[in-house]
Order: sequence, then structure tokens, then C-alpha cells
Amino acid sequence: MSEEGLYCEGDPLDLLNQLEYILESDPLIDEVGFIHPSQFVALNEEAGGPPPSSVGTVLQSADESVKSKISNTNVLNTVFWNRDHKLGISTKVLLPLYNAAKHAFMAANEQYKMHKNLSVERDGSGNGSVLSCYSTSLNILETQVMKHSRALLLLSCDFGTAWNSRKLVLSKKQHFPIFMDELLLSALVLSYSPKSESAWSHRRWVIKMIAGKCSNLQEIVEKESELVKKIAEKSKMNYRAWNHRCWLVSYMSGGQVLHELSKYRDWAGLHIADNSCFHYRTRLMLRMLEDSWQKQNVNGCSGCNFEIHQVWKEELDWNEMLIKRYIGREALWLHRRFLSLCWIKHFATDIHDASCHSDHKTSTSHDMVIFMDNELGLFRSCSAILDNDFEDFQSHAIFSATYILWLTKQVSECLGIELREKLLAGEPKTLLNKVCLEKAFLWDSLGGLCGCI
Amino acid sequence: MGELEVEKHVKYILLVEKRKDDFESVVMEHLRMNGAYWGLTTLDLLGKLETVDTEEVVSWVMKCQHESGGFGGNVGHDPHLLYTLSSVQVLALFDKINVLDTDRVSNYIAGLQNDDGSFSGDMWGEVDTRFSYIAICCLSLLHHLDKINVEKAVKYIVSCKNLDGGFGCTPGGESHAGQVFCCVGALSITGSLHHIDKDLLGWWLCERQVKSGGLNGRPEKLPDVCYSWWVLSSLIMIDRVHWIDKEKLVKFILDCQDKENGGISDRPDDAVDVYHTYFGVAGLSLLEYPGLKAIDPAYALPVDVVNRIFFGR
Ligand SMILES: [Zn+2]
Repeated sequence: MSEEGLYCEGDPLDLLNQLEYILESDPLIDEVGFIHPSQFVALNEEAGGPPPSSVGTVLQSADESVKSKISNTNVLNTVFWNRDHKLGISTKVLLPLYNAAKHAFMAANEQYKMHKNLSVERDGSGNGSVLSCYSTSLNILETQVMKHSRALLLLSCDFGTAWNSRKLVLSKKQHFPIFMDELLLSALVLSYSPKSESAWSHRRWVIKMIAGKCSNLQEIVEKESELVKKIAEKSKMNYRAWNHRCWLVSYMSGGQVLHELSKYRDWAGLHIADNSCFHYRTRLMLRMLEDSWQKQNVNGCSGCNFEIHQVWKEELDWNEMLIKRYIGREALWLHRRFLSLCWIKHFATDIHDASCHSDHKTSTSHDMVIFMDNELGLFRSCSAILDNDFEDFQSHAIFSATYILWLTKQVSECLGIELREKLLAGEPKTLLNKVCLEKAFLWDSLGGLCGCI
Repeated sequence: MGELEVEKHVKYILLVEKRKDDFESVVMEHLRMNGAYWGLTTLDLLGKLETVDTEEVVSWVMKCQHESGGFGGNVGHDPHLLYTLSSVQVLALFDKINVLDTDRVSNYIAGLQNDDGSFSGDMWGEVDTRFSYIAICCLSLLHHLDKINVEKAVKYIVSCKNLDGGFGCTPGGESHAGQVFCCVGALSITGSLHHIDKDLLGWWLCERQVKSGGLNGRPEKLPDVCYSWWVLSSLIMIDRVHWIDKEKLVKFILDCQDKENGGISDRPDDAVDVYHTYFGVAGLSLLEYPGLKAIDPAYALPVDVVNRIFFGR
């Protein structure tokens, strides 16, 4: 008999049992993937000789009937591959396996919900023995729901009803480790589908459930952040992942925020095209600002400002260094817009806040003059296109020109005028019209918006 | 420049609906309601909705409704705002909103508003500005906006605005063209667009146009047909659509068609799907491509459908 015949004609329920059995026997599986049948050969050869370790262990500890069932269906490991806590599922069985998992789950879930409703109705009817018999069958149904939903979610990551059924079962539990298991399952799903919205959302639900009750929330938050980093390395510019990380910030302590900012700076320096990772820094820095305002309101001390002033300065310098090293990276320039805007709003204008609205239009703070001169210098050095047709250099020039235009428009009116006076006769706009003609519509309308340029 | 392959796209959409024999299509069954909305709205924009059996669609949609009043993504699936809006939109296409107990649906939606004005997607409490849009859009279509605290809902959306002018999922979340659409759409429906700095947001949005003419959803990303809708509709609502190069965008969308078998993909030469087919056609409709029905940028329904709901034919 051919191998193919075995699982094509084989009972899909057998496949499901087998998958669920593997998942139960190896609770530490941390990666799952769908594998083309031809890859099984390579995987088994690579492994060489003895049977894969974890399946081997599984088979040794299994009782005889299950053991024979598994080895019958999984002849030569052509359906499931399990080793070193990694699980591979053959693409050939995905359809029947999915159908079996879905039907098993839907049936169990329906029964569970019916049972649960009944038990609510019966609450207070007072028949002890009936109730205990009742809760036993409810427990069995719970186990079924948990088992089948897990298998199903490894095949269809955004099957919301399956995630919900787990939440329903868990919401009545107080046992802490069960919630940790959910974080593991979600991570396992994310290993094959890193953008799964439901898997990320499930993590947030778990964290909200335990937030008030556990003593090691800080540690959990740190691990979450680490997980996002790990996933973001393989799955570039993953909005869902970074959104989760931003969400975590509100659960961080002030110290943690500062720690995150410095700990992941080098990482960001290696991922300069990932806008999300710079936005994460934005989020952390704004949180620091908020905290410092609160402290100022409470203590009335402006000294708390010093640390954050320092952080901002360092980030600006670091960003400038990256801009000069990596030519034409949009995310770096956008990060600079944010940094500069806040710098102008909160740090450089601190002392002379009122001057802007008075008649002394020349009394802009010394800090501000230095800052603006630096930004103009940066723009000029980056916009010099040395007869260079390379796209990166052109983009670099465009980003530097839009940066300075954007800043001009965003800063308060009087500062804007000063900056505009320094921008010799529409420098940036001329440049933009030269190298970025397709956005001429925008530049033209900006001419009107920004007055003299 | 190529033309829009109307007949082929119609054929593609009708065919996709019937595919049930491969993993890739079966595994999407939990969001079939969204798929129905994408496919059917596309057909309507192309002027071919009459090829569909109304009764069949309506009775299936109603089978997805729960006691709570909310709709699931398919028969037997849990209710969620994401599918509730699609259900109402599908019924609206066929002028069948009257089969609904609008009070019940509206109460389900209103029940998901939180104290801070935000909305959860379902009883499990995930919060996102997408759900704010859905709630507001849906209640408006059902003439029941009075069931929620609109002022608080608007306040929450405004709290998700970033310094770059864009909006994220929750306060402090990264700006994303899809979220921008949701927030601008919700503010537009509630008459609250004055909360937006239109020049600033318009700038961010038109920086989404890349050299090929296509739009991306965030900085440094590749262009993608679906953002033709998210970005373009937002630009129209804030009256800044003249800041982008429309001709180049039309060309980009047309280049993403499968000229043999119909359907539109995210980028030229990728595999097509219903989602991008809808957003491609909807984008072209916003760009006033000849032969297409006009689409409303806030309600994401054909303008004649919206007019029927608010002005009675
Ligand atoms: Zn897309």
C-alpha cells in the first residue's frame, strides 16, 4: 500500500486523535508549521537514523492501543513530525484534519454551553448528588472543549469562536498556571501565524484577567515584550505584534519604561526600516513625559525634568547619527519629526514660553536658535545631491526637505517665521519640485500653507 | 493603460463563493460574512447585484444572528461587531434592513460601549477604534445613534490621535491607514471632523503614495491595493484628495488585475482574493472610474444605497 493511500483513506478522526495525543504528550511544543510532504523525507534524513526523540518518548510511555494506532497512521512520519518540541503537519492532511477538528470542537462547544446554561438554571435547586454528577460531566465537557479548540487553533489561527470557548471555560477558574498555559498556546499559534489578531488579543485578555491577582506582573510584562522582539525579528513590520507591545506600556513601571528604552536601542539601530519599532520608542518617551508632568504637578519640582531632557537629547543625537549612516530611510526621518516637535514644544521653549506671544519676536531662547541651526544644517547636508542618480540619495534629499517643511509648519507661528527666513528663498520646495515631481500637488498646496516658501 | 475587466471580476466573485474543496478557502469560513460584504458590494458597484439570489443571501445572513442581537461570521459562530456591521451592510445592499429587529441589533451594539466611550468588539472586551467606527456606522444605518453616548465615543477616538496626525487602535497606538479610515469615518458620521488637523493628517496620508502610484498603509511598507480604499476615502472625507496623483493610482490598481481569470491582488502579479478585489474596485469608484457606481467614503456602501436609507429613495 502506498503511503499516500494510508492517510487519504484513513479516518480523519484518527488524524485528530493523533494530533491531540502529540499535543498532550509534549506540552512544551513551541513551534508549529505546515510542511509539504516532500519535506518530510528531508527532515527525517536530516534527523538521521533513530526515530525522532519526542515521538519516541511518546511511544514508549503510551499504552499499547494508542501506540499501535499512532504508528499505523503515521507510517514513516509522513503526517506529523515532532522533535525537539517542534511540530510539523503535512499539508496533505490539512483539509480533512481541519474538518475533523472543527466538527469535534463545534459539537463539544455546543454541548458544553447547553450544559452550563442548565447548571445555571438548576443553581439553588439543592439536590447534592445530582449536582455533583452534573459537575463531573461538565468537567468532562470542559476538557473536550479545551482539547479540540487547541487542535483547531493550530490549523485556523483566527477561529474566534474557539478562542472564545477557552475564555468561557477559564473565566471561572482561579488557578494561576492555567492562564500561563494560555500564553503558551497563543505563542504557539503565533509561531506559525505571527499576525494572528485573535492570538494577540487572547494574550491581552489573559493579562487583564490576572493583572490584579498575581505578584509577578512586571516579570510577565517583560517576557511579553521579549516575545514581541523575537517575533518582530522574523516577521518584519508586524503591526499587530508592535501594537501589543505598545499596549503593554501602560502596565509598565516608570523604571521599566526607561529600561525598555535603553535595552532595545541597539535592536532598533539594526532595524532602521521598521517604523513600528520607532513608534514603540515614541510611545515609551511620551509615557515618560506624562509621568514627569504628573510628578511636577505633585512636587512642583522642575528638577525631575532633567532626566527626561537628557533622554531626549540622546535620542536626537542617536537619530541624527543613524540618518547620516543609513541613506534614505523614511522611518528615521519620521522619528526625527516626533523628537524635534516635542523638543521644541517641551524643552527648548521652556523659559521663553511667553515671548512668542509678545512683541519681542527676536527673543527666542538660545537653545532654540542652536537647535534650529542644527536642523537646517542637517537638511542642507542631506539635500546636497551630488549629481547622484541613485534612488537612495534622492529619497534622502526628499525626506530631508519634507522634514524641514513639516517642522516649519508644525512649530508655533513666530518660530516658523524665523525658520522660514533662514530657508533661503524656498530652498526645500525647489528641491522637491526637482526630484519629487509626482507629489507636486502637495508641494504646491504647501506653498500656500507655509506662507513664504 | 489597461481597462477594468468587469465581466471577469464578476465571474471570479461568483466562483469564489462556491469554492469549498481546498484548505485555503475553507479555513476562512469563520469570516464568511465579511467575504459576503466584500463580494456583494463589488458586484453592486459593477452593476451586477441582480445576478445574486436575494432570498438565499438574506436567509443565510439571518441564520448568523444570535439571541443577543449580534451576528457571527457564519452559522454557528460567536457574534462580534466585525460581522454585525457586514450583516447590516449586506442587508442594506438588498434593501432588506426591514427584516431586522433594529432595536435588538442596536441594543447589542450599544451594550458594548465602555465607560471611557470606547467600544469592545464583543463580550470578551478587546478595545479598538475599529469597533468605535463599526458601532457608529452601524447604529447610524439603523437610525439608532441615540442609543450610545456619542460625545464620549468621539472623545475616545480623538484620544487615539497621534502627533503625526494619524490614528491608532488605542491611545498611543501606531498610526495606520486602516485605523485612520475608521476614526475619520466615525468622526465624519458624527459630524465631528473639526477635531482633525486636516493639513497634518492629509500630509501623512499623501505621503503614503509611493513611486509606482500605489498607496501603502504605513511608512516603509510596500504599496497595496487595499490602501487605495483606506487612504483615499480618508482623504476625501477631509477634503485633501487633490494632494495625491490620482491617475497614477488608477494605473496601479488596474495593473493588479488578473486579466485572465478576474480578481484583483494586493500588488501586480500576486495572487488575487475577494478582499483586494473589493478594495480595488471601491478605490476606482472613489476615483470616479467610468462605468462604476459611486461609493460613499464613510459608510463604504454605494451612494444610492446610503441615499435610500437616509432620504428614502
Ligand atoms: Zn492589502
